[in-house]
Amino acid sequence: MAEKEDRIKILTERVLSRFEDYDINPKEVSKRLSLLINEFKVPEEEAVRTVTNYIIKELDISPSETFGESPIKSISELSRSGEWVTLKVKVFQLWDADSPNVSQVGLIGDPTGIIKFVTWAKSRKPEVEEGRSYIFRNVVTDSYGGRIQVNINRNSEIIEIDEDISLPPREIEVVGALVAIQQNSGFIQRCKTCNRVIKKGICAVHGKTESYDDLRIKGVLDDGMNFYEVILNEENLKSLTGIGVEEAREIVKESLDRESVLEELKKRLLGYYFRVRGSRGNRYFIVREIEAIDGKAVEFADSVLKEIESLKKEIGV
Amino acid sequence: MDTFQRREVAKRVFAYELSKSTYTTSEGDRTPKYVLTPTGEKCNRVFMVGVLLDKEEVKPDSNFWRIRISDPTGVVTGFVGRYQPEALEALGDIQPPVILSIVAKLNIFEGETSKFLSIRPESINVTDTQTRDYWVIETAKHTVERIKRLMDGADEDTKLAKDVYMTDIGEYLSMVEKAVTVIKEEAEIFSEEGRGDDRTDDIADESAGLKETEEVKTEVGEARIESSEIEDIDLEDFEFEEEEWDLSDILEEE
Repeated sequence: MAEKEDRIKILTERVLSRFEDYDINPKEVSKRLSLLINEFKVPEEEAVRTVTNYIIKELDISPSETFGESPIKSISELSRSGEWVTLKVKVFQLWDADSPNVSQVGLIGDPTGIIKFVTWAKSRKPEVEEGRSYIFRNVVTDSYGGRIQVNINRNSEIIEIDEDISLPPREIEVVGALVAIQQNSGFIQRCKTCNRVIKKGICAVHGKTESYDDLRIKGVLDDGMNFYEVILNEENLKSLTGIGVEEAREIVKESLDRESVLEELKKRLLGYYFRVRGSRGNRYFIVREIEAIDGKAVEFADSVLKEIESLKKEIGV
Repeated sequence: MDTFQRREVAKRVFAYELSKSTYTTSEGDRTPKYVLTPTGEKCNRVFMVGVLLDKEEVKPDSNFWRIRISDPTGVVTGFVGRYQPEALEALGDIQPPVILSIVAKLNIFEGETSKFLSIRPESINVTDTQTRDYWVIETAKHTVERIKRLMDGADEDTKLAKDVYMTDIGEYLSMVEKAVTVIKEEAEIFSEEGRGDDRTDDIADESAGLKETEEVKTEVGEARIESSEIEDIDLEDFEFEEEEWDLSDILEEE
């Protein structure tokens, strides 16, 4: 029991530390935390958040005041909704707002990516212009239709800056490991009329149809910091594995199973590193060139060792 | 809070560091769980390249396998069962010792007195020394970057890692140094023998496997001194989410 009380005390202090300039009754906070955690068995983190939000609402203060500056993040780091962040961006494109509640909508970008933004009319923020760079301070992430965006509300601030923020390069190069191969990969069949992938000879649009064989891999390339969904076509696959449509037919002739082509491709691709050049599409990374890594990784050993040596000196080991 | 469903990046962390990781964070019920490592990487998924030392069915005919994977820094234990169908299928044809690439989720068994990390492979594939070399160098670079952030103490994850583990920076720098040195020396041996790039994967696989097995033996010895608490784990403490099985032999080995 005493242990529980101590825990509540610690959590109470944590909540209060965010409201140092305000006069808040600690007993009230502890009571609420204890009710949520001990009575209702709400996880601690959720309880802390709930009580914090309650205080924010009660005192009618903006999150930017209590939490200070939202951290500066790059667009590629935004991964969940409900996060308060500050972004340094260039306005890439403005769209027509289709609702009276929205004053501006469009795309903003930084070197790591491009993201949709929405400025709510009631936020009464100044309008931004295409091609200019701004700091978007205290904006909040949101997901809409399964994609992440940022909303500008009344607690946000938009400040124009002289700096010219660059947008993601048109073509990028990534070296990563193929960490997953997704469904509808392998030795597939396509509809002769529309080229869509068909299953069991039935096209989703054209019904029973004439088909032709094709090879493709939908996969995920991962460099430990980001992941890229890639589609490899027959040409890519033939150059990497030696298996093209002809070879795939041979494999099927022997094994009498179309799936064995995918198994063979997996053995040669999954968990291997590739160097890919191409551009970012809406969802998929459009591959222009792909090759296996060249096996010269060891050449970087000395520079890593040198860096370790200097860090060791720095800490005095 | 509503979660944007985004694929988790597979982080690069050496086996030694993973085996020391005991702290999990989760921002809410519907957000993914992350394991925080001693140098401050938050991982939900990892990508590893290492040597399969052994595979063993946890109970006869359970088709639930325990594997041990080693890289130049240490060993992690993994479990593969019916919830990892792709990895299970691949593992069937594989015999140790052999170099594998593994994409895995992490799991921490929590006892009352101690914790124990294991990996749950999603996919497993046999790979070559070239991939292993690349992975070691890549993981070394990522780890050094994390250590630098840890020294700056600027971001929240590394600050938390420092508080939780009281991370000894020198220990982790030495770990990376050792891994890179092993890879570099092996490459030098091969080029001295005049085989260079001509080495066939089979020969390289075999010798690398043996070499690393030796490496591991010494490592396990060191680990025993450092983390004798593992031996004290009361097995009754662990709640198994998948199936009941006996952990006693793993823990004795460590």
